Amino acid sequence: MTDREQFQAVFDKLHASPDVLTEVLNMTIKENAVPFRKKRFTPKIAAALAALVLAVGGGSAAYAMDLGGIQRTVQVWIHGDQTDATFTVENGSYTLHCKDADGNEVTRGGGGVAYENGTERPLTADELLEEINVPEVEYKEDGTVWLYCFDQKMEITDKFEDDICYVQLEVDGQTQYITVKYQDGYAMSPHGYIQPEEFN
Amino acid sequence: MSKEEFTALAARYMDTIYRVAYSWTKNPDDANDVTQDVLIQLYKTQKEFESDSHLKNWLIRITVNQCKMLFRSPWKKIEDIGKYADTLGFEEESHLALFQAVMKLDKKYRVPVLLFYYEGYSTAEIASILKIPEKTVSTRLFRARAKLKDYLKEE
Repeated sequence: MTDREQFQAVFDKLHASPDVLTEVLNMTIKENAVPFRKKRFTPKIAAALAALVLAVGGGSAAYAMDLGGIQRTVQVWIHGDQTDATFTVENGSYTLHCKDADGNEVTRGGGGVAYENGTERPLTADELLEEINVPEVEYKEDGTVWLYCFDQKMEITDKFEDDICYVQLEVDGQTQYITVKYQDGYAMSPHGYIQPEEFN
Repeated sequence: MSKEEFTALAARYMDTIYRVAYSWTKNPDDANDVTQDVLIQLYKTQKEFESDSHLKNWLIRITVNQCKMLFRSPWKKIEDIGKYADTLGFEEESHLALFQAVMKLDKKYRVPVLLFYYEGYSTAEIASILKIPEKTVSTRLFRARAKLKDYLKEE
């Protein structure tokens, strides 16, 4: 058996869930090609450090806003600038709409679950609210990499060694240790640097 | 495109999208989410495709972009590859070993390996799809092969 045949035999076994196509086709039938939210909220946090484990997925998708839920105006930090945003929560997921300092529309979404006493529940609005100002790593088109955390912004382009960058930030008087994997997420802890192999 | 055309294309390419997404994310749920997002982009696109290969290359490119977006999220759960492998029902031990060895590779190697060995793309085509120099693709494939050899020897 050649290498290619071996790979064929192995990767032929991988198939998308049939539910994916069903879901997409349902959306096209409804003439609504934007999913309100993902159907699934799996835990996203790798390290459980407390009794209550928050699991939050950051937002890569833009979601429809007009489907109800709890809505409020909140202040968020976008790229080091504070701005008002519309924060909508429904069943453990949130959408955030605002404008950045340049007037560009910014939409974020996310969601998660919490584990308490061995059971899983959607995050509450207050819990989600605590998560919306999590640090952000931006990979700009000019190749520079920036870390934003509340009012702080730091260029970390040259801090990467073997695609890993370690930085410390003072947040609310506490030192936060941030490990960034190049284009591969980051992890933050007040207890010390989380090792790259411990997340993603 | 019509809904019938879209359905046919979605059915034809969803596994390709999933395989690339899984190779990137190593998480079946994330890979299914990415597949869904990419199919929605396919449904919404006004882009004219010259050929099937043009469309397929575009889908793979969009899939990789979507995966990158996903990894901008702060936390990702480390999935148990072994558990997922158990659900795939490999008939031969060597296939299971190869799957686990590929998944042990760093992400920057996994997708080029999939595209080269499974999809049959040339290094030049992979370079074009992933928007990286062809030399980088060749180097990654060379290193991936060496690492796979080592991993499989350890088994």
